[in-house]
Amino acid sequence: MYSIIPAGLILISARELTLEAAQSAGSARIVNSRPSNRDLPFAQTKKLLDSRNDREILEGLRKVISMMYRSKPCLPFFSAVVKNVASPNIEIKKLVYIYLLHYAESEPDLALLSINTIQKSLSDQSPQVRAMALRVMSGIKVPVISQIVSLGIKKGCADMSPIVRKAAALAIPKCYRLDPNTLPQLLDYISVLLGDKQYYVVGPAVIAFLEVCPDRIDLIHKHYRGLVRKLVDMDEWGQLATLSLLTVYARKCFPVRTKKVKKNKSKGFYEDEGSEHEEDNSGEEVQVLDLDLELFLKACKPLLSSRNSAVIVSTARCSLHLGTSEYIDAAIGPLVALLRSPQDIQHVAMNNIVAVCLVRPESFVRYVGHFLVRATDPPNVSRLKFEILTLIFPHCEPHIREMIWSELEHFTRAADAALVQESVRAIGRCAQNESTASTRCLRLLLNQLSSQDGNLVAESLTVIRHLIQQDPQAHVQTVIRLAKNLDTTTNPEARASIIWLVSEFSGLPEEENIAPDVLRILVKGFADESEAAKLQIVLLAAKVYLHYLIRTTPAQTEEAPGIPSAQVVECASLHISAAAEENGWQDPHPPPSTDQPGVESDQDSPHPIPLLWTYVLHLTRYDVSYDLRDRTRLYRALLSNPQSTQLASLLLLAPKPVPHTPSPSENRKGLLIGSSSLVIGVEAAGADGMMGYESLPEWVKEGEEPDAKLRDEGLAKEVYGEKKDVPAARELDKAVEKKGLGKIGVGGAKNKTFDDWLDEEEDSEEGSTEEETESGSEEESSEEEESESEGDEEVDRLVKQ
Amino acid sequence: MLSNAIEALYIFDQHNESILEHVYRSRPASARLVLPLYLAHPTPRPSLIYLPNVNPPTVLFSVIHNNLLFLSPVSTETEPLFVLEFLHRVIDVLEEFIGDPLLATKIEGNYDVVAQLLGEMCDAGSVCNTEPNALRDDVDVSGFLGKLLGGVALPGSSPALLPSGGLKQQMSLNPTSNGPAIPWRRANVRHTSNELYVDIVESLSVTLAPSGRPLAAFANGSIAFTSKISGVPDLLLTLSASGGKLGMEKAIELPVFHPCVRLARWKERPGELSFVPPDGKFMLAGYEVNLMPSNLDLKSWSNTNLQLPVSIEVTKSLGLIGADFEVRLILSSILPGASTSASASRPNLGTRGSGRSTPIFGSSASGPTLQDVVVTVPVPKAVRNITDLRASRGEAYFTPADNVVEWRLLTKDAAAAGNATLRCTIVGPLTGDDEDGANGFTFDAANGDYDDKEETYQSSALDAPRKSSAKEQNQSRDQRKIQQNASFMPSSASVSFSVKGWLASGIRVDGLVLDTRKSRGLGEGVKPYKGVKYLTVSKKGVETRC
Repeated sequence: MYSIIPAGLILISARELTLEAAQSAGSARIVNSRPSNRDLPFAQTKKLLDSRNDREILEGLRKVISMMYRSKPCLPFFSAVVKNVASPNIEIKKLVYIYLLHYAESEPDLALLSINTIQKSLSDQSPQVRAMALRVMSGIKVPVISQIVSLGIKKGCADMSPIVRKAAALAIPKCYRLDPNTLPQLLDYISVLLGDKQYYVVGPAVIAFLEVCPDRIDLIHKHYRGLVRKLVDMDEWGQLATLSLLTVYARKCFPVRTKKVKKNKSKGFYEDEGSEHEEDNSGEEVQVLDLDLELFLKACKPLLSSRNSAVIVSTARCSLHLGTSEYIDAAIGPLVALLRSPQDIQHVAMNNIVAVCLVRPESFVRYVGHFLVRATDPPNVSRLKFEILTLIFPHCEPHIREMIWSELEHFTRAADAALVQESVRAIGRCAQNESTASTRCLRLLLNQLSSQDGNLVAESLTVIRHLIQQDPQAHVQTVIRLAKNLDTTTNPEARASIIWLVSEFSGLPEEENIAPDVLRILVKGFADESEAAKLQIVLLAAKVYLHYLIRTTPAQTEEAPGIPSAQVVECASLHISAAAEENGWQDPHPPPSTDQPGVESDQDSPHPIPLLWTYVLHLTRYDVSYDLRDRTRLYRALLSNPQSTQLASLLLLAPKPVPHTPSPSENRKGLLIGSSSLVIGVEAAGADGMMGYESLPEWVKEGEEPDAKLRDEGLAKEVYGEKKDVPAARELDKAVEKKGLGKIGVGGAKNKTFDDWLDEEEDSEEGSTEEETESGSEEESSEEEESESEGDEEVDRLVKQ
Repeated sequence: MLSNAIEALYIFDQHNESILEHVYRSRPASARLVLPLYLAHPTPRPSLIYLPNVNPPTVLFSVIHNNLLFLSPVSTETEPLFVLEFLHRVIDVLEEFIGDPLLATKIEGNYDVVAQLLGEMCDAGSVCNTEPNALRDDVDVSGFLGKLLGGVALPGSSPALLPSGGLKQQMSLNPTSNGPAIPWRRANVRHTSNELYVDIVESLSVTLAPSGRPLAAFANGSIAFTSKISGVPDLLLTLSASGGKLGMEKAIELPVFHPCVRLARWKERPGELSFVPPDGKFMLAGYEVNLMPSNLDLKSWSNTNLQLPVSIEVTKSLGLIGADFEVRLILSSILPGASTSASASRPNLGTRGSGRSTPIFGSSASGPTLQDVVVTVPVPKAVRNITDLRASRGEAYFTPADNVVEWRLLTKDAAAAGNATLRCTIVGPLTGDDEDGANGFTFDAANGDYDDKEETYQSSALDAPRKSSAKEQNQSRDQRKIQQNASFMPSSASVSFSVKGWLASGIRVDGLVLDTRKSRGLGEGVKPYKGVKYLTVSKKGVETRC
């Protein structure tokens, strides 16, 4: 049989080849002079379509399809194209179908005319044709035909060929969208297809289930174990759907059980885990996995070496939301391995990695090398890498910490402003997560202050400010040190930041208090300051003055400084400038104790602080900035009455909340791993995520779950726990043989599929047919052994522990 | 619950003109609508862009390949990786069917094939068939390309010209009627010459500290396999690493496999890949090797013998005013010399290579050579120009648009081991020299020591003489310039290269065995030709901090 056909084919294909070569050469010429002149005139195309020659029709169809893709109008061809639907030539059929799917909606009436022919194809001899017909029929968006489609699906579900059954499964959601009233029938079909022996069919059936009736988990019970077993054999897209279905199923059907229960059972299991570490001695709470759940989690493990990144992330989601810590840890390596993928996938993968890292930072420590930022990383990836470094920082050993420090420090010197900003912030987060690190962090940041880069200085100061606010008492000296830098720093934001910090410390006892001095010096150059700095200077003045009032008021009510005359102010300012010249800018903080007694000994002149305050008020009164003038008025009004400082202290001296900078992704913690919403973030997508986003349901409460017996398949041989499993492909072949269809494949030995051979090896009676191809037929006994061990391997692959 | 669906696929050419629009489901945002929104996003554009102002709010996924832009808008919650993986599969399949590299003209010339492929890969939004081999069974690649790709003696591959009576005969011959026995392998594969090729490519990702100490070093490997064998072959590929069996287990980390690989076998015996391959070229496996073993060992941090054929060192702030920097390229001689034992065509891979780390099979007789050495030094944007590029070998130039200095070495320049240097002078932005330089804090290193508990800085501040009031004006000006220039110095440099016939990880193919007892339909006495190629590349992969 085989020897004849190729000879014939070769002749034909030789002729074909030359023809096609000539043709493509011609078309290549046209392509070069692209693009519009490739289109034939309307009449000519139509003539091709109307031709009796298959070849010409095909030519015409190709023209129409290419016009279609270039958004050229090709609706006028509708009848001419669609009448070819009856052509027996499968290639013509395919192209007509493509056209039909695209345009049926615009010409529903004409499209209906083709339905009859398509329906006929549903009973075609070739399963490929049947499958195609089913796909097209369900894809024609004309609601009238919903019942016909439903019937077609019914027929397809019972088809012998898995190709057709697969097409039927995929047609179900289309039929549902066409007419939701067909739902009851469709549910039946789905239920049948979910129980299909072929993994090839089950995947699409799950996809259909998710689209049509995701809440009907009662349909899943009896197929649960079958789905779990077939999971590893499905194609990647079926795996994705099944993972997503079973994750929800598990949440709804397996209550959390714990051994040695001490706490409320309905708690989320992460909390259980937390308590596991905390109360080691007082009776642990260990999550006990339901056997069926464990079956699923074990079936997931081999998926972690899938080549499809989406499958890996989905598997990680299962482990994270269903499994115990060991399952989560197993998923972390493969997640990190996604960083090898192309850059577009890397970005999404990083988002998911961060989400897992927020839950289990300690398991990421060993992969720290993967998260070093590289010069080629786009900004969004490097930002996330920094975040991971800060998250794992508290869990690292000292030498790795050292590395992270130097890594972050390195990027504070980067040229890219955004990168600098991120790295400085990351340093700040490292420090706040770890109290022992804050000294080191401050040292690092203070070194940054000598940088030329204003951006870096400003960002460092913000972080320093946060650190100081966390523990103000320990940082009095730091503030003094910062204040010294007012001599040199020019960045307005940085100056403002420092001044604000100084003002926060203006309430210290007089000996240590540098605030009045700083104010004295700053006021001298007030006119040259930036607006941001001016605002802070005024605030500093107000606070200093307020503290002065609080200190003095109870003791010397009478001596309250009134509003000094302009003359006095002048004197005072002279005095100040004289002082400034004496002590100079060189020595920014002359010991107040030497200065003040001198002033106070002179009983005639008032205390310098009120003088300073008045001076500032005068200065700002004539400032160009509205805002500054307004604020000054406010402060002046607040502090106008020296007797009542209460309101002012409430306003100005309110304790500031300790700032805590959460990890930037912290707010995405609740979002489901693998979802778009996680990548977009709550800022953009809203707290509920994107349209259609649903978070996982809570674990079902103990006692409310469906009966576990529902999952029994009723088949004694397929009891759960039995490792022996039959590959779906082999099942199919057996079925095929039973139905007598095997003959088609057995016709020529070379036509046989791999699994045919496997089967034949097992029943050695058919061994005789092998001799044609098998070089020197082996001895029967060794063959037998081989096939046995091979069979085991096959099974192992499918079961995969 | 996440249910995934593809709504549409748009392809644009390099001029951002739409060349293909395929709508799968519902009414997604049109190509004309989303393209400007995509282009409006500042570069580098992420693969996922959220467009809240489109109705309904849409997430736009994008992949760029060969200057072609693939966009897919999605309006409901969908797994991003699902869409991106689909786009990558579309690219792979199109390359396989209408020719690699994928070009706009090829798509335009084969709309009928593309339409069939897209329809077959995704049915109304549900992705259902992305295996090139399975698609080969369903999609007719007609025309000249089909002849080239389809295999000459393949029955049923081109029914276009057959009289229509022949159709039924073909259909009944087509064994897919019984469902695919092996989903990833085309039925009835026949080749006149049987060939097997293994290409192992490792791409380096190494980060070096300024001191030259490696911080992280990985080799990301991928095993590409080309199988042109009739029937259903069952293959066993054995890999080995320098450390023997145990070494293998340690060496290959985090592998991913094509679905055809029997995982149990790998788990049992790491290094053995047993599989029935798809027909044609495919990615068999991906893996990574940590070139700095025992990552967590404290001692190894200071002292690892990472062997790279090329490494770089950067010295900055040289010259009188600190405007120069020097890149030293170290070409080491760790690559084995010209090999003599590896024969050009070796039908049987079973023979072991000589004691070298990675022997060369089936490649040319010459030893591994270093090629395409390019050093890339990104410089800050503020740098106006770079003058005086003096390279001891090769050629260097500065591209102001990208702010990089590129230094290329010809193969003959790279052949000799030793050092090569490049010295450049940067020209910073225009600044008046007389302008007061003191913009910024002036801590000097001596005072910079920060101590939390003591009042050190107070005392030190009093003691320390002010630097700016120093005697020599010139000196201080130079110092200021050095300080200024320091901020224009590069902070990293990377080197790209490729080495044929050498793998950084030392992994090699020990054997590729065609199991004739398990294989079917092979034909009598067929001894396929086997070829192995090794390639190590670094695409800016070796990066030195400075």
